[in-house]
Amino acid sequence: MSEIPSAIKQDFRNAKKLEWWTLGWMGSVVVVMYFTMGASQAMKTALFEDVLSLVPAMTFLVSAHLEPRAPTEKFPYGFLRANSLAFLGSSVVLTFLGLFLAYTNGMGLMKGEHPTVGPVTMFGETIWLGWLMIAALVYSVVPPVILGRLKQPIAQRISDKVLYTDSLMQKADWQTGLAGIAGIVGIGLGLWWADSLAALLISISIVKDGITATRSASAELLDGAPRRLEGSGVSEEAVRLQDRLQQRWPEGRIRLRESGRYILASVDGIETPGEIPRAEELMDPGRSWRLGRLSFTPHGKEDPAHHR
Amino acid sequence: MISSLSGGAHRLFSIVLPSFALSLGACSIPRDPSGTMDRVEQSGTLRLGVIEGAEMNEASRRTLARVLDRTGSRPETQRGDSEVVLARLKKGEIDLVYGELAMDSPWSREVAFSAPQGLLAKAPKSEPVPRFAVMNGENGWLMLVSEASK
Repeated sequence: MSEIPSAIKQDFRNAKKLEWWTLGWMGSVVVVMYFTMGASQAMKTALFEDVLSLVPAMTFLVSAHLEPRAPTEKFPYGFLRANSLAFLGSSVVLTFLGLFLAYTNGMGLMKGEHPTVGPVTMFGETIWLGWLMIAALVYSVVPPVILGRLKQPIAQRISDKVLYTDSLMQKADWQTGLAGIAGIVGIGLGLWWADSLAALLISISIVKDGITATRSASAELLDGAPRRLEGSGVSEEAVRLQDRLQQRWPEGRIRLRESGRYILASVDGIETPGEIPRAEELMDPGRSWRLGRLSFTPHGKEDPAHHR
Repeated sequence: MISSLSGGAHRLFSIVLPSFALSLGACSIPRDPSGTMDRVEQSGTLRLGVIEGAEMNEASRRTLARVLDRTGSRPETQRGDSEVVLARLKKGEIDLVYGELAMDSPWSREVAFSAPQGLLAKAPKSEPVPRFAVMNGENGWLMLVSEASK
């Protein structure tokens, strides 16, 4: 199971390529935003969000490097959950940073701070920095929205939570850009509160991303039933697998959990049958790779959770 | 994309977008939230604070003359200690301050500094150099002073 299944190898390669593209494009966005942000809180918060958007891409690439590694003596089940662990850590950081930014921007709004966005001289012309900020924000929206759209179908095919959450966050990035632009236009129109208000909205969107990602990552680490990529409900694919297993062994207790992108199924209270069905018979067409393990536990040998 | 919007949203866009564009075009951007430029133009008086000990160099005099010309105003000068003058600027009791101010001074966060006046080489952040200061957030006013500094 440590090798990437051949059915998803090409998608997996494409996903890695897209994440490298993400690092490159979003890196350029971060540089452009950094040099134009000035004293705008909305720009600063949008810059934070852009820096944070590099984290899922890095998490994916690091775990994509670890996942195919063979199990070792100390890690006999391999490194399938490396991405879940890294993702949980980064999503908790995302949530707290979002809360911190929301607090800072909320305070800025209450104190009535007037942001100064002054002039900048380019090619001998003095122009208002706000125009450059708006141009930078427009640029900051384009790469993530395209990349997010390209990643989403791949994430569904390879059942990758990190990639999926990353694609959702990127697809929603236009809202950050729009909020930032509204903040800058607000400053231009003499509405000092527009900038802090836009920054507050962006911070709230960071908190929302963080909570979504934390819920998604923690369910797997608690051996929860396989979740849908979107939302926190149990995946339909897992429900169908559970039904098929239950039909075959009506007297057994079926439990499913997730390990990385794979589903691990256990049938408790049943001796290992002589003939075990193939994964193709149990899973949906083209999805057999996802059944990572099917195990049987005879009556009386179940783990402690079974008796509760 | 607009054609795919519902009737209500379409109407909203057809009203909001042109009026937004009109409001952007009608007024000069950026504007001042505390209305410094409007006040100077309407009253015809520019309340200028000069920090004690600072003498205006040629570039600063030229900048000030252009600002007065563009706003059609006359200066009403008051001199004082930097703490007093800058505190009054922060409160909006003065429109413009002239003095020798270092970029890393704590006042750089409380008020907005213009570019150095009449210096060709970039001055170190810790070095006090001749410059103007305006109230924080008065972006239109700061733009006018900066354009006049060219």
